[in-house]
Amino acid sequence: MHEFNWGLLIVVYLFLGGLSAGLFFAAGLANYLEVDGQPAYPRIARMGALLAPWPVAIGSALLILDLGNWYRFYKLFMHFRWESPMSIGSWLLTLFTLIAFVYGFAWLPEDWRQKLFSKVPPTWKQVHRLNVDLSGHRKTLAMIGFPFAIGVGIYTGVLLGAVSARPFWNTNLVAQMFLFSALSSGAAALLLAMVLDPKNPIETHETKFLITLDIVFIVLELFIILPYLIHGTLSVLAVKQALWLILGGPYTVVFWVFFLGLGLLTPLGIEVYELAPSLLKGHAFHGSRNLALAASGLVLFGGFLLRYLFVYAGQVSSFHKMGMLH
Amino acid sequence: MAIKKKRYALVIDSRKCINCKACAVACKAENEVPVGNFRNWINEDRQGEYPKLRIDFEPEQCHHCEHPSCVRVCPTGASWQRKDGIVLVNDDECIGCRYCMIACPYDARYFHEASGTVHKCTLCSHRIDKGTIPACVETCPSKVRVFGDLEDPASRVHELLATRRYRVKEPQTGNGPQLYYLL
Ligand code: SF4
Ligand code: SF4
Repeated sequence: MHEFNWGLLIVVYLFLGGLSAGLFFAAGLANYLEVDGQPAYPRIARMGALLAPWPVAIGSALLILDLGNWYRFYKLFMHFRWESPMSIGSWLLTLFTLIAFVYGFAWLPEDWRQKLFSKVPPTWKQVHRLNVDLSGHRKTLAMIGFPFAIGVGIYTGVLLGAVSARPFWNTNLVAQMFLFSALSSGAAALLLAMVLDPKNPIETHETKFLITLDIVFIVLELFIILPYLIHGTLSVLAVKQALWLILGGPYTVVFWVFFLGLGLLTPLGIEVYELAPSLLKGHAFHGSRNLALAASGLVLFGGFLLRYLFVYAGQVSSFHKMGMLH
Repeated sequence: MAIKKKRYALVIDSRKCINCKACAVACKAENEVPVGNFRNWINEDRQGEYPKLRIDFEPEQCHHCEHPSCVRVCPTGASWQRKDGIVLVNDDECIGCRYCMIACPYDARYFHEASGTVHKCTLCSHRIDKGTIPACVETCPSKVRVFGDLEDPASRVHELLATRRYRVKEPQTGNGPQLYYLL
């Protein structure tokens, strides 16, 4: 009987890591775009910067708790093994988390920052030295962070894709699928956070930006999932049998109905429905709050399910056991 | 005298296997394998319907691969390979991430709940180093398992692989398994 070595905590961690990467990417992008020399989406940039470090920090903590010996996690940093995606990933993740926190710090409003440091005992001089205004370096920090965000988004897929023993994973498409899903989740999470922010109601141009971004990422994700399915069914027997897990096997409904239908195509449909009139007919963009809520919630649900599906189905798929599944 | 290179392997004559499971029991006793876990086991392949029924038994365990994917993915270097080919886990270095279990094409590893680390067949390296043979090999009443050094032309494994036809399992993974099944 096959038991699962990686469970729900790993799924949550993969999702949260990707979410942070996506948040950072969208926020950094929003920071770059300018209209008439003025930042076009400063509120999105700030919201994203303040949110980005947390999911990955929580996710990494969960990952450490999931280890058989959690207090040995420091051993990950005593070695650098370039052949092990997990070794590369732990370094990448740590650096990205640090950069994301520094970047978030650079976006802290002045009064928040002073309030934060007023809680630190005055004798802790070293800590008070950190109370510096980094707001002038936001663009540089975002620039440094971009490759790390992409790296974290892609490595969660590489982690699985690099395992030659699991035909369900062992294709280079999984990395890109996870990356685009992460970027889309980040855009959706920002949309959700902006819509739910009671103090600053989201403005239509902000909704439009995030929805456009999300449509681009979902479409890119679809362009990876379709080749994954087509290529897989045309591949060697082991891969074909692994794909059976979602083409008739136990994960079929989760994949087609919940992930692809509810988590990907439905939000895409909603977002295109919202954007199309302004894009094609030049109408003003309105942006319904409820539709934005629904779409962003579903995208996050879909992003989680993608990881759930791959972690579980991938572990079932193996060269010597697949034949016995039928 | 130059130190001779060694490459340990198992040659398995599955057709002699009677599914008595003495090997699995001997291994558990020798290596204190917890209840519910196994370092070696017997695969059963049933074909047909009674009375035209056929059952094949095939012992399996860690293949001590030439290019072990478990060693490649381990982030800490806890999984490692000796010069003589034996693949081991350094219990003090293992953080229990289980990536190696996922990377093994043969599901040959198990998670040891008490230690929080991953364990597997060691080919009884503690016995080999004293010049004896693995417990499963010693116990097998029908002499299914033959242990030996592939680099030694005088060894029985050499003779068997030179004179009999054989296969290895899932060679397409590139792991280079070193359990040779006679046909
Ligand atoms: S059979 Fe599995 S555990 Fe043994 S060496 Fe090969 S990959 Fe590693
Ligand atoms: S569980 Fe232990 S031996 Fe296996 S990959 Fe992780 S650290 Fe290495």
